[in-house]
Amino acid sequence: MSLAGDISAGAPRIHLSQDMRQLIYRLLAAGLLCLALSLASEAFLTANNILNVLRQASLLFFLASGLTLVILTGGLDLSVGANIGLSACLAATVIKATGSPVLGTLTGLAAGCMVGICNGLMVAKLRIPSFIATYGMLWVLHGVTYYYMGGETIHGFPPGFRQIGSGYFLGIPIPVYLMVGFLVAGTLFAQRTVWGQQIYAIGANPLAARLTGIPVDRRLILVYAFSGAMAGVASIVFLARLNSAEGDIGEAMTLPAIAAVLIGGASLFGGVGTVFGTFVGALILTLVLNGMNLLAVNASWQPLVTGVIVIFAVWLDMHGRKKA
Amino acid sequence: MSDAALSRAPVRLPAVPGVAVALAGLALLFAVATPGFLSAGNLSNIMVQSVILLLLALPMTLIIMTEGLDLSMGAVLTLASLVLALTVVSTGSLMLGLAGAVGVGLAFGLINGWLVAGLSIPPFVATLGTMGAAQGLALIVSDGQSVVGIPRFVRQAYSGDVLGIPNPVLIGAGFYALFHVLLYHTRFGTYICALGGNRDALTLAGVKWKRLLVSVYMLGGAMAGIAALLMTARMNSGHPTAAIGMEFDAIAAVALGGTSFEKGNGWIFGTLMGVLTVGVLRNGLNLMAVPSSVQVACIGALVIFALFLDGMRSHKS
Amino acid sequence: MSKLKLLAAALLATATVAGGAQAADETIAVFTKNQTNPYFQTVRVGAEVAAKSMGAKVVHYIPTKPDSIPEQLSQIEDVIIKKPSAIVFVPVDYKAMVPGVEQINEAKIPVVNVTDRSAGGKFLAFVGADDYSLGLETGRFLLKEMGGKGNVVILEGVKGSLTNIDRVRGFNDAIKENKDVKLLASQPGNYQRLQGLQVMENLMQSHPQIDGVLAANDAMAIGAIEALDGANRKAKVVGINGTKEAVDAIKTGKLLATGDYNGFVQGCIGTMVAIRALRNETIVGEVVLKPTVVNSTNYQPYDVPLEARTCPSWDQAASMATKAPTKTN
Repeated sequence: MSLAGDISAGAPRIHLSQDMRQLIYRLLAAGLLCLALSLASEAFLTANNILNVLRQASLLFFLASGLTLVILTGGLDLSVGANIGLSACLAATVIKATGSPVLGTLTGLAAGCMVGICNGLMVAKLRIPSFIATYGMLWVLHGVTYYYMGGETIHGFPPGFRQIGSGYFLGIPIPVYLMVGFLVAGTLFAQRTVWGQQIYAIGANPLAARLTGIPVDRRLILVYAFSGAMAGVASIVFLARLNSAEGDIGEAMTLPAIAAVLIGGASLFGGVGTVFGTFVGALILTLVLNGMNLLAVNASWQPLVTGVIVIFAVWLDMHGRKKA
Repeated sequence: MSDAALSRAPVRLPAVPGVAVALAGLALLFAVATPGFLSAGNLSNIMVQSVILLLLALPMTLIIMTEGLDLSMGAVLTLASLVLALTVVSTGSLMLGLAGAVGVGLAFGLINGWLVAGLSIPPFVATLGTMGAAQGLALIVSDGQSVVGIPRFVRQAYSGDVLGIPNPVLIGAGFYALFHVLLYHTRFGTYICALGGNRDALTLAGVKWKRLLVSVYMLGGAMAGIAALLMTARMNSGHPTAAIGMEFDAIAAVALGGTSFEKGNGWIFGTLMGVLTVGVLRNGLNLMAVPSSVQVACIGALVIFALFLDGMRSHKS
Repeated sequence: MSKLKLLAAALLATATVAGGAQAADETIAVFTKNQTNPYFQTVRVGAEVAAKSMGAKVVHYIPTKPDSIPEQLSQIEDVIIKKPSAIVFVPVDYKAMVPGVEQINEAKIPVVNVTDRSAGGKFLAFVGADDYSLGLETGRFLLKEMGGKGNVVILEGVKGSLTNIDRVRGFNDAIKENKDVKLLASQPGNYQRLQGLQVMENLMQSHPQIDGVLAANDAMAIGAIEALDGANRKAKVVGINGTKEAVDAIKTGKLLATGDYNGFVQGCIGTMVAIRALRNETIVGEVVLKPTVVNSTNYQPYDVPLEARTCPSWDQAASMATKAPTKTN
């Protein structure tokens, strides 16, 4: 165990220095985007709009932060969007049936976490490549959710519960607090705990990690469970924000969430990336959409613009890495 | 993605691959369960329906063997199909349209290859970006509308047959043979295998591997262009969302067929079986009138199940 | 290996159940676009209610990927093998599905076209409504309620989908009729609730005064209402589809109106025409339902669970006919 500690203690320091430099490039990208947008639209640089962007980014961040850990181990979780759909529908059913938001929230989190554990078991124990295991899971979840919902929606939740998604505290939206909380917790977990270090070590060199006695299987199951649980968190905030649940609620979120992690500097080969980087990635993507709405960019052009910006952001990041 | 590296046992092609078990099992099941399944008409149905996916899955196999991925294929197919439809409608020349479609595919392949090989952007991100670009361009050139008015002969050629074998199936078989030869009997194929697991060796041998990598992505783009011809003929029109998401089907079929995401372990016959397995499953469930939501879950379960069988076997060896 | 057997057993069990279901004499295959939009659920339930009352069987075919053209084409080919008695058909795309309809025609299976009018092929009848007049009427209702002046925004659906093109065109034409109404922006929410909400939030940033919102479906309209509530702003919002949720929002006064072309009745009449044709009874050639703008004065008929609704009688249906059949049977 001490050996494992040594390895993992050594690994992140290298990443940190490299990450710092990359972070600057990434923040620079976000900064440039902000500058351009504030020049283009006077509505952009207002307190209201900043809070607005942060709140919108929070949904993406919940999903992407859990994914970051998975990607750190060199895996991928394509099922997060479908997971949101199922978790939200189950949570909504429980809230409707019992009238208790607490029970509903617990159901949503538990459902998300269970799906994550299934993913983790498939990847760690059955040795199915994560891309395929979670892609298969995506279809299974969609099927179950569609079957369960039968094309209907569930809507209308208690006002207290809705505060989680649409409430304010001291003028700042509640989801933004949640986002900051998960950002701090995630960063501390990844950088400052033995488990977090082990996750980096698994991604950097799985064989070496196994040889040094890191319980690779258990850590893998842990990260997938985390990713699932974060999808559960996102599903609850979704419900509270939208006041309704439907089967395809998270479908459009999976690829943007993965993009946020990668724009944030994580590598699909594992071992590289930070939760803070992912936060910046989620912010950049949200800024792009916000900007296109503010500037009333024609609907046809929006996918093209988003695609080019994703490539550009990652290229800038690669550029920073080369110099580092 | 280093999942496979986590397994203790070395990855080897199993004696009876999971995909073969899945394909045979499903075929048997449907043959017993539903009367129409084994009719000649239905078998030709399955093959015709599988051709477009096969045309994407073949180059996808090669791309995945280079430890790459091409998420833009579905969107490029869609864009190419629109370009083809617009060209055929305005000029009346199918050849010109096909050239345009393949040209679009090659251009996107070139960009993908350049981003991946030249700028070292991870394939997942690079092609995710070009996917958005192709999707956007598809909306822009079509103004969000279907393109119709394609001359009758295109559809007639598509639904024709030679000695009872539908033309699309002949095209699919031809390209399958081409890829088989390309991968196993040419130097290009050998290099591709090396690109996945042994890039250093290529450099030592003096092979310009970056140029090779670009050509693999261009091959993928060109095949998307050819698939666009079949798609356009099948719909007798071009549509801005026609093939969205098809790249994931192709990737799943390739993985189902036993191609591994690293080390250049590819199996082109496995890809063919993977495509057919998905085709048989969908067709059989439709014949049995299984509800759509259950079908969705079955597809997911099948993908996991076949890969699970493979994993079991490589465990034991 | 035992797991394999288990799976096979499970699939076989499904097979026997499904096989048994096909035993009825008249089987109507109903094609709809997706399993996510509540609208198509109303069409499906309408078809089921009609078939049940007439003693026929309904089998649904829905693409596993929403609105997938290649998948619906494949499903047609698969269904032709099974030779259902008749088909009730909602094309995922009215132009791209024409080859599919031609295949149905070649197989000589009678087919009724529902909701979106196919650009080609031979049908017993068309039962539907047009999205253009739906958008136009819903838009007009909103603008009238606004007193014919003010600032409006449009939340568009999926770019490239027929429903979206026509609804948005209807909205725009309604706006053009009112000189004092200004269109601030027209942005895509892709028929998604969350996107509708976020786009609305963003639009409120750059436009301090928005008086009306025209959303191309109810999900986006409800999303926009949530955004307005969150910012403590007021605007009149209209959606389209007449969903249960929209009716609830109308009851509480949050939503002004929702345009509806009554999928339930379309499903009913479409299926009735198909079955009557099989039984050599008289049919109609075309029923174009007039769009209803559901609002606080007329929502009551919509405030009933789908399954409890009843189909119109054949006489009622026939009286709505806008065209006689081209040939009987």
